[in-house]
Order: sequence, then structure tokens, then C-alpha cells
Amino acid sequence: MKHQDIMRMCLQNLLRRKSRTLLTLLGVLIGCCSIVIMVSIGMGTAEAQKKMLAEMGDLTIITVTPKNSGTKKEKLTDKTLKSLKAMDYVVAVTPKISLDDYDVTVKLFAGINDRYVADWSSVAGIDTNELEKMGYQQISGSEITRSGEMLAGEFVAYNFADTFRPEGSNMVDRWSGGFDDQGNPINVPDPYFDAGKTPIVLQIEANNKTIRRELQPKGILKEDNAKGAETSYGLVMGIGDLRDMLEQLQEPGKKDDGYKTVLVKVSDITKVAEVEKKIRQMNFSTSSMESIREPMEREARQKQMMLGGLGGISLFVAALGITNTMIMSISERTQEIGIMKSLGCYVRDIRILFLSEAGAIGLLGGIVGSIISMIIAVTINLISFGMPPTPEYLLAAIAGSESVTRICVVPPWLLLSAIVFSVAIGLGSGYYPANKAVQISALEAIKSN
Amino acid sequence: MARCLRDQPIIEVKDVRKEYPLGEETVVALKRINLNIHRGEICCIFGTSGSGKSTLLNQLAGMEKPTRGCVSIGGVPISRLEEEQLAAFRQRHIGFVFQSYNLLPNLTATENVALPLMFRGVPKEQREEIARKILCRVGLSHRLDHFPSQMSGGQQQRAGIARAFVTRPEVVFADEPTGNLDSATTVDIMKMICGFARKYHQTIILVTHDPEMAAYADRVVKLIDGEIVSDEMTGSRQKKF
Repeated sequence: MKHQDIMRMCLQNLLRRKSRTLLTLLGVLIGCCSIVIMVSIGMGTAEAQKKMLAEMGDLTIITVTPKNSGTKKEKLTDKTLKSLKAMDYVVAVTPKISLDDYDVTVKLFAGINDRYVADWSSVAGIDTNELEKMGYQQISGSEITRSGEMLAGEFVAYNFADTFRPEGSNMVDRWSGGFDDQGNPINVPDPYFDAGKTPIVLQIEANNKTIRRELQPKGILKEDNAKGAETSYGLVMGIGDLRDMLEQLQEPGKKDDGYKTVLVKVSDITKVAEVEKKIRQMNFSTSSMESIREPMEREARQKQMMLGGLGGISLFVAALGITNTMIMSISERTQEIGIMKSLGCYVRDIRILFLSEAGAIGLLGGIVGSIISMIIAVTINLISFGMPPTPEYLLAAIAGSESVTRICVVPPWLLLSAIVFSVAIGLGSGYYPANKAVQISALEAIKSN
Repeated sequence: MARCLRDQPIIEVKDVRKEYPLGEETVVALKRINLNIHRGEICCIFGTSGSGKSTLLNQLAGMEKPTRGCVSIGGVPISRLEEEQLAAFRQRHIGFVFQSYNLLPNLTATENVALPLMFRGVPKEQREEIARKILCRVGLSHRLDHFPSQMSGGQQQRAGIARAFVTRPEVVFADEPTGNLDSATTVDIMKMICGFARKYHQTIILVTHDPEMAAYADRVVKLIDGEIVSDEMTGSRQKKF
């Protein structure tokens, strides 16, 4: 028999008992829907977790520090940096000096005769060539290219007090204008000066020594709490400059301890654990979001499997429905099968015919089920947003967006695999009935009623 | 089949015995049948119910395997063929006319008649064209797109005959083809079957318990209790057509 003939017969047979086919289909549809919705809720949880972690810090950055204890302490030297850079999946490596980690007093001055002064500020030195790769974003200005240059944190200018004004009214309050619905400050007053254009003097005091250095502004960084306070109320400068200053302050005769922190950027989130393990083997301490992410992901996966299993049960029930329908259909069509055999229909064609009837129920149930579950998922998302379903939010409910967290995440592969799974269920549950059909003898045709 | 000579029997039945288990006991339906049927013969297997005539038909058509002995059609030992080979053999060489017509209820007359061609993989357009032609020849040109439930018994059986002959098989088995029909229709149907057979030199195996039907055949094989008791040439060819 030709394939199109089998398809045509299959369709005719399904349409013969419309209500029965429809009910069986409904079973598959519900099973398919429940699997998709359950899995999508699980994936939604995972997505929300990932988003939460991303807000806490860059998921692909590993922070490497020397070990605090242990017999053989490795130092983070330039040599270490080189070997880290040579590792697989490592995109960028930079040492980071944060003055917060040192026992020093930091003051920033700006304006003529140090008119403006900031008593506490986060100052960080990093390899300025790797700034962009490490995920630092700039609002304005250009890159640091030379020694003696710096990038100001987004709100560092608000840290400065005006020495010409009396105590209590010598600072600009960024939040004085109130807040909008989302909690962002509005009517923000301008600071005393533009940090992106004003040179700032960094003064570090330690070991009874004080050194100052004027830094030329190159631009303003975007605030990023995952990176550190230097992007908001501080400044970033070349690591060389900062190291020089610290060396000058050091007590004579004390040898170099190496870097306190090195940041390693990994190409992909899935490789973080692998790279981290290798660095640990080099006898360093590491920390990354992976240690938080991994157990969270495991938990999410367990939840997902549990939910998927619940959906799977309903699809299994649907599979029994298909089997039942097919067996019913075969016992009704016993004579028909006998006739077909006596007219010379191949056994394999009969098998294919019944399998394709069962498979078609699975396919149709899968497709319609996927469409319906997509609609349900989008509706759940829209309700959870609590916003009117504008095109923008509709798109966010379907494909997701930065600003909102979806409850149900339905990626295309989930729908596709739901359909494939439904077809497989259909074929699987049609297997036994098809075998039964094949065993019917041509003699059935001759038995007169 | 083509290389088969004229005078060689097209159907050869050799020492066929068929037993059925019936509870503890074994019922012997066919004792020891030896029968040769020649090409172009209209052979009637005649017997009362329980005589074993239907069992013999089942053996001849390869529906069942004999307990012992061998059935060959055109030299092919069909009693030893596998199911798939048997299907292929039926497609090419065998036609069936059933007592209860056995048209598929959800197919139209044309589709029903085209069914054996469909199993052979003939494209839809082509096979339905052939089916329509033969339906016109059996006088159903006005029933082409009717479903079996919309046709009378005689019309259904005519469609059944069209289906049996549509592939131009060498052998057509007819099991009480007029058993459910009135006498006027019976004559029509029998004339039709014999007409086709004579025209294309086909062999008909007609199974019946009705002595009137036997009159249409060239040869009557009488069966009682699983044994052939008589085998006569009737010469009906001259008498009736």
C-alpha cells in the first residue's frame, strides 16, 4: 500500500467514530498540557533563581584568593595570572585591589584647594584592559589608556562634602526628590561637580605616611552592585597606579604578598564549576556564584522532575485511553481486517495502519495540547505580572524579558518534545492493539454474520 | 503462472487432511482430499452444512493450513507460504466473492472495488478509474459513490463481484455467493460470475449447498463428511451459455 493510502484510511477510520476519537484525543491533550505546564513552572522557578543570582553577582566570574590557612601558601603573582589566562574557557583575568581590604584611610578631594572632600569611598584598581570583558559598563567617556587616569563611579560625586558650607547642609542628597512607584529616586538634584570631568585627588594614609595622587577623569561607570561599590560610590583606576601608591606606603623591608584578589571570567556558566575546580587544584581559594547556584539548580531540577512526573502520570493515563480505544476499534473491525487480509493486504500494512491511527491520536493531541498549554502558560504569566496585556507584556509573557519574571517558561524545545513524546506515547500504546489486529485471520472474512 | 500449461491443473490438492481440536477430541473435517482443477473450469464444491465444503475452500484459498497434504495453485504450494507471501499471492492471483458481500462499510462502491488494487500500490486515480469501469460492467454505474448501506443486497454482491474480478485473478473463490439473495437476483449474479470467468478464462471455485447453483458449474464435486463422494462434469457450458 502507498503511504498516502494508509494515511487516508487512517484518517477515515479516525473520523468514523468521531466522539470516541475526540475523547481519546482529549485524554492525550490533557496529559500533554499537564506535562508542559508542570515542566514550564519548574523552568520558571529555575529562571527566577537564575535572575536572582545574576543580580547578586556575575555568574561567570570566579574570585580567586590565596588560601588563609594551610602549610603551603600560594601567592597570586603575575605568573599566576598568566597560567590562569592560559586555562580553557577563561576569557579574561584581572587582579583586583580594593582599598577596602587594606588597613588604610582613604580620602578623595576635588575642586580648587580641595574644596570638596569625600571621607569614605571605595577605590579599586584593576587591569583596565580587561574592564569591558569583566563586565564593567560605562555611561560616558572613554577607556582608561594611560597611567593616572580613572573612571568615576556613577554616584561618587554625591559622596563629596563642600567644605565651604556648614556641617549638615554641605552634601547633596540624591534622594531628596522622592521616589516613583518602582522605588527609583525622582527629581534627583545635581551634585556639586561632574565627576566625569573633574580631576579627583586620591589620598591614602597608612603607617603614618600620606600620599596623594591626582587622577584624570575619563568617564563614568554604570552602577553595578554585583561588581562592587566602586561602580557607584567610588572609582576605578589602573592597578599599576594603585600598587605603586601602596608600595610607597609600605613599611620598608616587608616583602610583596602578591595580589589579594584575582577575578577570572569564564566563557560559559556551565564551565564555571570545571574551571573553579582546576583553580582549587592550584591551591587557591575560590568563590563564585556556582556554589550557590549549583544546589539551587539541583533543587529546581528535582522540583521540575517531580512536576514533570505528575504530568507524566496523566499522559500515561491517556496512553491507556489510546490502547483502550484501539482495542475497541479492532474488535469492531475484526471482520474488516479479515476482509482486507483475504483481498491481499499485507500484514505489515495492517500493522502500520493501526499504529498510525494510534500515532495520529498522539500527534494531534500533542499539537493541540502544546498550543493550549502555551495559551495557559502565557495567561498565567500575564496574570502574574498584574499588568494590562499590552503587546509589550504579551511578548514578555511568551519570550520573557529582563524586567519581569515569568512563572511559566515554555521554550520551543519543550513544545516540540511534548509533541514528539505524545506521538511516541501514541505509537507505544498502539503497539499491542496493532499486534492483535495483525493476528486476526483472513478466515474472519468468511464467517457470515 | 504464465508458464503453466493449459492441460496442467491450476489447482492441485494432494492428500489434504484437516483436523480441528474440539475440547479433548479431534474433529476430522477433511479426510483425504485429492482434487485437480483445470484452468477455466467453473467448479462447484457441493455439500450440506458440515460436509467440510467450507473447510476445503479455506484450504484451497490458503486461509488455513491443512493438517496434512499440500495445496498448490499454479504450481505454488500455497499451503506452505508465509503470511506476507500469501498476501502477495492473493493480490495477484486470487479473488473472493463472499456470501455476506463483505464490503467495507465506510468506503464507497468505487473505493471498495479499488481496494485490492490499493493493496498492490496502484495510485488512487488509476485504480478508481479501473474500478469505475468494472462497476459499470456489473451495472452499477449509478451507484459508484454509494456506500454499501445505501445499496440493495444484489447491488452489494455485484460490487463484491467487481471487487473479486478487478485484478483479473486466475482463480476466484465464491463462498455461497447468492446465499443471501432472492432467486431472480441469484440468476443475475451467477450469470455475471460465469460471464467474467468465460471471457477471461478464469477458474471459479463455487461453494454451495444449493443444487440449483451447481447447475451453473462445469463440474460438481460433492462432499459428504469430509470426503469426495462424486466428481462429475456437467457440460453446463453448452446448456446455459
